[in-house]
Amino acid sequence: MIFEKLIRIPNDRIAVLIGKSGSVKSKIEQICFVTLDIDGDTGEVLIKSTDDVEKVEPFKAMEIVTAIGRGFSPENALTLINGENTLHVINLNEFAGKSSANIERIKGRLIGESGKARRNMENLTGTLISIYGKTVSIIGEPNKLRLAVDAISSISSGSMHGAVYTKLEAANRRGKQEKMKLWEDQNVFD
Amino acid sequence: MSETEAKIEEKPAPVEEIQAESVAEETKYDVKAKGEPETKKEGPAKWGIAHIYSSYNNTIIHMTDLTGAETVALSSGGVHVNADRYESSPFAAMKAANTVIESAKTKGFTGFHIRVRAVGGVGSRVPGPGAQAAIRALARGGFKIGRIDDVTPIPHDTTRKKGGKRGRRV
Repeated sequence: MIFEKLIRIPNDRIAVLIGKSGSVKSKIEQICFVTLDIDGDTGEVLIKSTDDVEKVEPFKAMEIVTAIGRGFSPENALTLINGENTLHVINLNEFAGKSSANIERIKGRLIGESGKARRNMENLTGTLISIYGKTVSIIGEPNKLRLAVDAISSISSGSMHGAVYTKLEAANRRGKQEKMKLWEDQNVFD
Repeated sequence: MSETEAKIEEKPAPVEEIQAESVAEETKYDVKAKGEPETKKEGPAKWGIAHIYSSYNNTIIHMTDLTGAETVALSSGGVHVNADRYESSPFAAMKAANTVIESAKTKGFTGFHIRVRAVGGVGSRVPGPGAQAAIRALARGGFKIGRIDDVTPIPHDTTRKKGGKRGRRV
C-alpha cells in the first residue's frame, strides 16, 4: 500500500517535531510505522507509509504532526495514541475577524491570569488545550472534546468565565449520573 | 424503484465473472494434473475503490468499481449499532467493513484502493476514529490494499461556519 500526505507546520515548530538528535521524529516513525520527510526551510512535512497495512497508522501520524505544529509539546501530542483521543483545531479568525488586536484580546481571555482559565477548562473537561498563533487546539476523547469546543467558542464570543465553568460542571454532573445508570440500558460491547 | 434497477444492473455482472473464472480454471487444469485439489482460486485480479467517509457522527463505507460510478457494496456504522453516540466508534466501523467485505468477495473483487474523506469544508479536516478501523478490517478481510488517499474537500476560501455571529447557543 501507498500513502502520502504533505502537511505544513510553522518554522519554529520544526525543531520540536525533530527533537533532540531526532528523538521525537523517530518515536513518531516507530509508533505509527511511517517515515517523515521534514524540510527545515519551508516547514513542509511529507508523511509516507511503509508496507504493512496491519500496523500502519497514517491518520494518527497526521494528527500528531499537526498537533506539534499547533503548539503542543511532544509528550502531550503523543497522548493522541491513547484510546480514542482526537485533535480539534479552532481558528480564532472565526470570532475575531481580521483584527489582530482582537485576536490578542481573545487569546488573553482564553489563557486567563497566569494560565488560570486554560487550566480550569483543562481540568473540568479532562482535555489538553494549546493556544498558539491564531488557533486554539484541543486533544481529548470525542465527547469531552465537544464540551471543550463549546466552552472555548462561548468564551471567545463573549461569555463570562464563571458562567462557562458552571456549565462545564453541570455537564460533568450529568455525565456522572449517566454512568450510575443501570448497565442494562447501555451498550456493553464498547 | 432504485433497488429494482440496481438488481437488474447487477445481474449481468456475475455471469461474466463466472465465465471468466471458469475459463481461467480450465486453462489451469490443462496445465496442471487434475488430481491436485486446489485450495486457492486464483481468479483474475479485480480492483475497486473503497470510499470511506468518516465523521464524528458516523462512518460510511461505500465500495465501487474503478470508475466510481457502479456501487459494489455499501454499509455504515449506524446500521450495526443502536445508540447514536456509538455510530462513529471503531467497533461499528469494523462491523460495517465486515458486511461490505462479504458482498464484495462474492462479486469477485480482490483488491481495493482506499479514499478516506473527513467532513472537510468548514468542518473537521481530520478523519474520525472509524477510518483506521475500517482500513484495518479491509486488510484483514483478505483484500489487497493499493493506494490510500485523503480526499477531504479543503476550501481555498471558506464560507461562513453555521451558527451566526453570536455563535452556537445551547
